[in-house]
Amino acid sequence: MSNIQQYLLDYDRNKREASATAEKTATRLTAKELKLLSLIEELDEYLNSDDGATRGKTMSYLAEVLSFIPQKVLSIQQRNLLCDFLLSRLDDSEGVGFCARALMALEERGKWDDNQVTKIIEALLNNTHPLQQYRLQSERYSVLRLIDALMAKYRHALQALHDSTPGFMTRFISYFDGEKDPRNLMMVFSILRVPMTEWNIGADAQELFDAVFNYFPITFRPPPDDIYGITAQDLKDRLRECVSSTADFAPYAFPALLDKLDSTSMNTKRDVLTTITSCVAEYGPRTITLYSITLWDTLKFEILNVQEEDLAVEALNGLAAIARTLSQQGANGPLQSYLRPITKECNEHLEDAPTKQSAAAARILRTVAAVSPEVTNIVSANVLPNLFLLFQNADTMSKRRGLLEVLVQLIKANVDLFGSWRALGLAGEAPPKNALVEFRDQALEIMSDGLNSAPVNEVSFRLACLDGLLQLCKTRELLSDQAIGDIIQLFHSIVIHEDSYGKDEVKEAAINGLVDIAHQKPQVVVDKAFPAFLAELPDKDDETSKGYITVLEAFAKLASEDKIFDTVVLRLKNKFSSAVKQDASSPYIVALLSALLYALNQGSERLQKDPESSPYYHDIVLPLLSRTATSDASHPKAFDNEPTLDLVGRICNLIIRSQTLEHQNNVASELYTLFSEKPQTDAPPLNATLAPEAGKTMIVSTHLLASLRKEATLPVELQLLISSLVEYSQQPELSVPVRSASLSQLSLLFNKFVPTPAVRSQIDFLLNTPIELFALEKLDPPRIRVVFAVLKGIVLRNSPLLSSLYPKLLSFLSHPQYGTVVAHGFATLLQPDDLLIKANHCQISGLHRQKTFALLVPSIAESHRSASLDARPNYLIALSGVLKWLPFDIIVEEVGQLIPLLLQSLDLKGEDLVKEAAISTFISILQERPKLAEEHAGSLVNRLIDNSTPSSSKHPIQVGAATGSISTPPRVRSTAIKCLALVPEKLKREVVLKYRRHVVTKLSVALDDPKREVRSAAVKCRRIWLDFENDDDDD
Amino acid sequence: MELDKDNANPTILNPSDLPSRRRELAVKKREDGGTGLFDELIPAYTYLNDPFDGPVSSSDSDDDSVEDIDEQEIYDLISSISDPEHPLSLGSLAVVNLPDIHIQPPTNPLSSISTVVVEITPTITHCSLATVIGLGVRVRLEQALPPRFRVDVRVKKGTHSTDDQVNKQLGDKERVAAALENGTLMGVIRRMLATCE
Repeated sequence: MSNIQQYLLDYDRNKREASATAEKTATRLTAKELKLLSLIEELDEYLNSDDGATRGKTMSYLAEVLSFIPQKVLSIQQRNLLCDFLLSRLDDSEGVGFCARALMALEERGKWDDNQVTKIIEALLNNTHPLQQYRLQSERYSVLRLIDALMAKYRHALQALHDSTPGFMTRFISYFDGEKDPRNLMMVFSILRVPMTEWNIGADAQELFDAVFNYFPITFRPPPDDIYGITAQDLKDRLRECVSSTADFAPYAFPALLDKLDSTSMNTKRDVLTTITSCVAEYGPRTITLYSITLWDTLKFEILNVQEEDLAVEALNGLAAIARTLSQQGANGPLQSYLRPITKECNEHLEDAPTKQSAAAARILRTVAAVSPEVTNIVSANVLPNLFLLFQNADTMSKRRGLLEVLVQLIKANVDLFGSWRALGLAGEAPPKNALVEFRDQALEIMSDGLNSAPVNEVSFRLACLDGLLQLCKTRELLSDQAIGDIIQLFHSIVIHEDSYGKDEVKEAAINGLVDIAHQKPQVVVDKAFPAFLAELPDKDDETSKGYITVLEAFAKLASEDKIFDTVVLRLKNKFSSAVKQDASSPYIVALLSALLYALNQGSERLQKDPESSPYYHDIVLPLLSRTATSDASHPKAFDNEPTLDLVGRICNLIIRSQTLEHQNNVASELYTLFSEKPQTDAPPLNATLAPEAGKTMIVSTHLLASLRKEATLPVELQLLISSLVEYSQQPELSVPVRSASLSQLSLLFNKFVPTPAVRSQIDFLLNTPIELFALEKLDPPRIRVVFAVLKGIVLRNSPLLSSLYPKLLSFLSHPQYGTVVAHGFATLLQPDDLLIKANHCQISGLHRQKTFALLVPSIAESHRSASLDARPNYLIALSGVLKWLPFDIIVEEVGQLIPLLLQSLDLKGEDLVKEAAISTFISILQERPKLAEEHAGSLVNRLIDNSTPSSSKHPIQVGAATGSISTPPRVRSTAIKCLALVPEKLKREVVLKYRRHVVTKLSVALDDPKREVRSAAVKCRRIWLDFENDDDDD
Repeated sequence: MELDKDNANPTILNPSDLPSRRRELAVKKREDGGTGLFDELIPAYTYLNDPFDGPVSSSDSDDDSVEDIDEQEIYDLISSISDPEHPLSLGSLAVVNLPDIHIQPPTNPLSSISTVVVEITPTITHCSLATVIGLGVRVRLEQALPPRFRVDVRVKKGTHSTDDQVNKQLGDKERVAAALENGTLMGVIRRMLATCE
């Protein structure tokens, strides 16, 4: 059997074998075993067969054989012959697709000359016109690919053909008529784009335009099993590129597009607007000049009467694009005549500000003005005089506010273009003259006056003034330092002298404005604002007024600007020293320390970058520590107060923690003595016989310990320190903060300073005599605290010892006396901590939460079942303590089994935190895994309703009972209601429907809750349940 | 573009100028006049809190104080309703205003029934949608207030060409009930209420 016979036989049965046959033929041709001529002759019989299908398959065979032949096997004569032969086959309507493929294969094996290209395209147009007559889209696709390749590689030949052949274009365009397949259309658009952009299309423009615009707007939606992955967006993009490809289309495109803008379909309008924008950008200034005003007249409606926000934005883009295109030729006539009607109309709308349309006018002006310096100058010249006039004659504040907002927008556009003091604008280094200069003084005057003299209750008006002044300050090379100084003065006197009003929006904006100006002009702010602020901060306060707080807050905020950070910190530090010297009141000293800490926090990145060169260690840390430690006159009374010492500790911590090890060792050796030259054995915690007063320095020591790197040398041997701390923290007369500080030191030691190999021996040291930390008979609250402090340290580093320690801990839960105390301790294990953090060089394993969850939660659930009735609540409390801090994705897999326990937690009495945590978990369950809650819907809804009112229906507060201690607090009530609101949203309708009436009735009690927060949650929740009812009616 | 709007270009108030509760609260909360900037320096989970000293109360200290329902709260409930013509709130269009809301306490000591009177101001005097707006306000309040409140919504005197008629419609219980049976009307009202917080 000859190869062709074999191929024909396999063609429908096994495509791959058929191809193999063709490949064999190709190999034989390459090896010269088979002559090309005899191959063709062999095919002759089948090519002349009466059966169309056979003829088609034969062409397919030929195409495949050609595609398997390597390069350079066929001589130029052979290729020419084959080409002519293939073209002669085009008159057969069968196998056109394969013929095109064969031609493609041939082309890949040797370039054609122009003559041949012309012949091919003519043959195609003569024999296969219109392409739509071939029903198979894949067949048309092959032909389109051939034409696309010709367009890509033989552009000039085709262009020459078009130039020399009248009527060619018409035939060429109509050739693609009626194509509907998305993949082929993509091809057609890209083929037609070549003549559009490159050829001289003259009279054919309209025909060419119609050929593509007929498809506008694209409403194609890809079928679900689409194999080509062509989306509507691909088609839209390519169509848009065609429409915008040549200015010759303008006379047809704009009328047609504007016509379609009247469509009621938002999608069509969206397409029209994006297409207009890209046409405007591509057609060039000469063409756009002709259409600019027509376009404005239509586009403006989309902005003045917003239908959909994104349409308005796109229309604004269109208007800006026109201005951009026109300003390519400078501030010439066309640009002027485009902007004139715009500014005229906007001026008219400004007359009745503040309305919807004046706001729209502001948007238009802002967008257009930001296009180029030329445009912004013209717009300013046309709008600002009128705006100032209207402002002068305005009869209401709200009108003035509306006008100012427009002014502010224009100044913002100006900053975008001409730049700010520290950054260049879009107009680059050498921008043209800025027209705003002319209006500078007037703008400055009305806004300064407005800010200064308007009554404080005109919040929005003053905010507009303030914003405008700020923008003026920013504008590059607009205001003198003198003028900026005056504005700064306005701002800081608002901050300092003005009485508080409402939400203090103006004050806040003034502070933020100062920070912004400090970014542009740091020195002016230091010169102008700092003396004013510092003058308000007395060295010694008079104890009656606390006016300094607002000033300090504002001043500390200025530290967020890098350039003046150092100055702010320095001034605060000096203020602090003189306040202490003058024996100022404690609240004032605390406020100064708070401001200092706030300022340092703002610059903490800066501290990290360059820890050694900063003077803060000597200037701030050392003086603070010695003041803390001594008892002479330099020790302010405020430093006897624990929260103050906490502030001191935090300030030192921030400065020390980024220092190098050598530096830190200086601090480490004075960890407990704090540079006081006392012997260490007289300092807590090593001396446990000290008066409780002396223990307060422990609070500062804790922060110092937290700031040290784990390689730092401790002043005392580790085990001695641990045992001292364990003993010290159990002293009954310790104040709560000092005790917590000592316990935190234990956590820090076990986290940072116990090396990994030594963890076991240190823990064993605690477990064995004499300490016997885990001995059941010695259990009491102070020891329980120690247990959890130690565990907290090793939980974070994910120590393997946890698996043996946790079971012991769990067994304490059934302790008759202290079980509840232990249960509450579980909440501390995973609680976020402000000392045990990465920045403090702590060891924090990424997986510690998962590990604790896996070790604790299943056993808690297990033991709960076997526990005595009295002990059961302890397990629920412990469970909620663990779950509370876990992200939902950690517990999600197990949460189904926990639901019954969580529901029981909602019945606990007096454990409000537990209830709140359980409800929060239910909120997560409803949001992430609503299916799990479905079977419990009834119990959940009832319990949530019980918790939604101060006294639950199950346990009504008995008259005279212990002050109604089982009343549910507001936080739990509102959380319960928020959770209840999720139920109808997340669970299946048929599950929830039956509770609807009950919930709606019961919630009306919460509508009258004494707390506003609860009422507002109840209103929202009830609405959701009511709407749910309405949905039902619709069905 | 919808051409059937009664008032295509209404005046809009800036949100900063609308009455809100936060102002008074912020001032009352801090007697030192500060904004509480430094309060956040010490994190909520500081080590100085001791979870063992009895569970730290999850709620504010003033649990027992009662916050009564006042005019501002009524205003907050209805000012976020959107206008049926514009995607703007009744508050920013000044259709509802704080001074036009009154709560009348129970008329005799034995009754617990209070009455809420809300007067609405249509944006223009011939607004055909005044009744719908009034109905929306009424529905919202009836859903959101506890049953001890009676709701009375009316158009402010002199702000509408046919205010007597509109008020008659809004005051007529049976007509209101009938209107609420009307599916199209309820659809409009549901859309208006969709923006309520």
